[in-house]
Amino acid sequence: MTATTTHPSGPPLAPEAAKPKKQKKAKVRTIGRNPVMTGVWNTVAMGVALVMAFPIYWMILTTFKTNKDLISQDPTFWPSAFSFDSYKTIFDDKEFLPSLQNTLIITVGAMLLGLAVGFLAAVAVARFKFRGRSFFIVTMLVVQMVPLLAIIIPLFVVMNKAGMTGSLFGVILAYLVFTVPYVIWTLRSFIVNIPAELDEAAMVDGCTQWGAFFRVILPLTLPGLITTGVYSWIQAWNEFIVANTLLASSGAKTSMMWLTFYSTTPTRGADYGSQMAGGLLVSLPVIILFVFFQKKVSAGLTAGAVKG
Amino acid sequence: MSVTTNETVTRSGKSGPAPVGKPQRRGFFAAGQYIPYALLLPAIVVLVGVLAYPMFRLFDLSFQNVNRYAYLVNPSLAKYIGFDGYTNILGDHQFWEVVLRSIYFTAELVVLSLVLSMLIALLLNRVSNWARVTVITVMMFVWAIPALVNGQVFRWLFSSNGGVVDYLAFLVTGDESWKHYDWFADPSVGLYVVGASVIIWGALPFLVLGLYAALTQVPVELTEAARLDGASGFQVFRHVTIPVIRPFLMISAALSFIWDFQVFAQIYALRNASPEPGYWTIGTYLYMNGIVRSRYSESSVISIVMILMMLAVLVYYIRQMLKIGANER
Repeated sequence: MTATTTHPSGPPLAPEAAKPKKQKKAKVRTIGRNPVMTGVWNTVAMGVALVMAFPIYWMILTTFKTNKDLISQDPTFWPSAFSFDSYKTIFDDKEFLPSLQNTLIITVGAMLLGLAVGFLAAVAVARFKFRGRSFFIVTMLVVQMVPLLAIIIPLFVVMNKAGMTGSLFGVILAYLVFTVPYVIWTLRSFIVNIPAELDEAAMVDGCTQWGAFFRVILPLTLPGLITTGVYSWIQAWNEFIVANTLLASSGAKTSMMWLTFYSTTPTRGADYGSQMAGGLLVSLPVIILFVFFQKKVSAGLTAGAVKG
Repeated sequence: MSVTTNETVTRSGKSGPAPVGKPQRRGFFAAGQYIPYALLLPAIVVLVGVLAYPMFRLFDLSFQNVNRYAYLVNPSLAKYIGFDGYTNILGDHQFWEVVLRSIYFTAELVVLSLVLSMLIALLLNRVSNWARVTVITVMMFVWAIPALVNGQVFRWLFSSNGGVVDYLAFLVTGDESWKHYDWFADPSVGLYVVGASVIIWGALPFLVLGLYAALTQVPVELTEAARLDGASGFQVFRHVTIPVIRPFLMISAALSFIWDFQVFAQIYALRNASPEPGYWTIGTYLYMNGIVRSRYSESSVISIVMILMMLAVLVYYIRQMLKIGANER
C-alpha cells in the first residue's frame, strides 16, 4: 500500500532516468524475470499467436486446395498440390466484378463526401466560437452511439420516399450517418492543435486567405484526413446491413452482399474453397489498407470508434 | 522566413499557454459572423436528412401498425395504434427470451474477451521483443478482416463435414465420433461456444493492443517499489497496475458491451444468412423481424427498447469520452 502513496513525480525523475538507461533496464530484468521464465512466456506467446493466426491460415490454405483435398474427410494441414481453381471459380462468377465495382463506387463516394462535409464542419467547430458550438460537439459524439441496426427501418422508409432505394447514391448518403460524425469528432482535435498564429504568419508573409488555407491548414490536417479517410473506407467497405436493405429491390449488389448470396446459393453452399477465396478477395483491399496504415487506424479507432 | 517563424514562436510563448479563450477568429478565418454556420450547413443538412428525420420516423413508426404490405402496397391500412405496439412486444415471450439470451451472451463475451485480452497483454509485457512483434502482427491481420468474413471462416472451421475443429478434436481424443460432430445442431452450443469464439477472436486485437499500450504507461518505479515492499505479483497487479490502467479498462468494457450487445454480422454469416430462432440475440432478432419479415412498426419498437436497454452504458461512455475530449482541448 505504501507503494501507491510514494507516487513518483514524473518531471523531476525524467532527466535522471535519461542518463543511466541501460543500467536501469538491466535492473528491471533482475527483479522477477529470469531467462528461463522468459523462454516459457515466449512459448506461451507463440501458442497465442498460433491460435489467433490459425483461422487466417486455414482460410488461405483452403483457397489453394484441390477439389480432392477439399472433399476428403480428413482435412490436410498442407495441400498435396496447389490449385487456383477456387479463384478461377470466383472470377468466372458473373456478379463478382460488378459487385466489387459497386462497392468501390460506394466506398470512395462515402469517404470523399464524408471527408468534405465533415472537414468543413470540423473547421467551424475547431476555429470559431458560436452559439451552440458545444451542443454540436456533444451531439456528434452522441450520434455516433446510435446503433446502425436500430435506424435501418426508418432509413429505408425515408430513402424509399425519396426514391433513392436501389441507387448507389442512396447508399452513399446513408453511409454519411456514420462517416460524418466520426470525421467531425476526430478532425476537430487535429485542427484545434494547429495554432492560429501559423496561418496569420503565412498571411503576413503575403499569402492570400485561400493561400493560407491550402498551404498551411490543409497540409497540417492531412494526417487527420488520412486517419479518418482510412477509417471511413474500412467502415463503408465492410458495411452489409444498410446496403442489403437499400439495394435489395434492385439487382445491384455490393461485395459483402455478393459474398452472402454466393455462400447461400445451393450449388455453392458446400464449396468452401471458392467461398474462402471470395471472402479473401473481398477483404483484401481492407486488409492491405489496414496493415499499411496500421498505426493511424488503430490510433483513430481507439480515439473515437464506436461502430464495430 | 526564418525571422517570421521565430517571431511567432516568441509571441505565442509570451501570450501564455494555449490561445483558447478570446482570439477565436484569427488568421484565415478573420471574416464575418456567418462563416461557422455556412461551414456547418452541409453537415447539418446531411445529418438531419439521414439521421434526425429517420430517428423521428422511428418513433412515428413505433406507434403505427406498418409492415411492408401496409407501407408499399396498401398505405390506407397504416394507422396509429398508440402504445399497442409496445404492449404487444413487451407481452411477447419470445422477445423476453431474446432479451435474456442477449444479456447472457453479452455478459459472456465482455467478461471473456476482457479477461483474455488482459492476460495476453500482460504476457506481451514479459516476452522477448521478437515474440511480441509476432503476436502484434498476427493481431493486426485478425483485426483487419471484416466481421462478415470472420463468421464465414468460422462456419467452415466448425463445419460438421470436413471441418478442421472436428478433425482436431478427433486427433486429440482419438474418438471417431468427433469427426462429424455438428456444432450448430444445438443453438446453445452454436451460439455460446462457436458464436462466442468468432466474436471474441475478432474483438481481441483491439483490446489486446489497447491494453498493452495502457500497460506500458504504468511507471516501472511504482511496480518496483511495490515489489521491494514485499507485494506479491498478484498484489502488484491488483493495487498498482489496475488503478493506473483503470480509465482505459472502463472505456473498453463499455465499448465491448456496446458492440457485443448489438452483434449481428458474425452470427448472421455463421448461420449462413438464416440464423435459427435459437441464435437470435437482439440484433439478429431485429433484423429478422424488420428486414426479413418486413414488420416495420414492430421492429421500430424493438429498436427503441434496444437503445433504452443500452442507455446506461451509452451515457457512461459518452461522459468518459467528453472528459477525455475536455482534457484534449
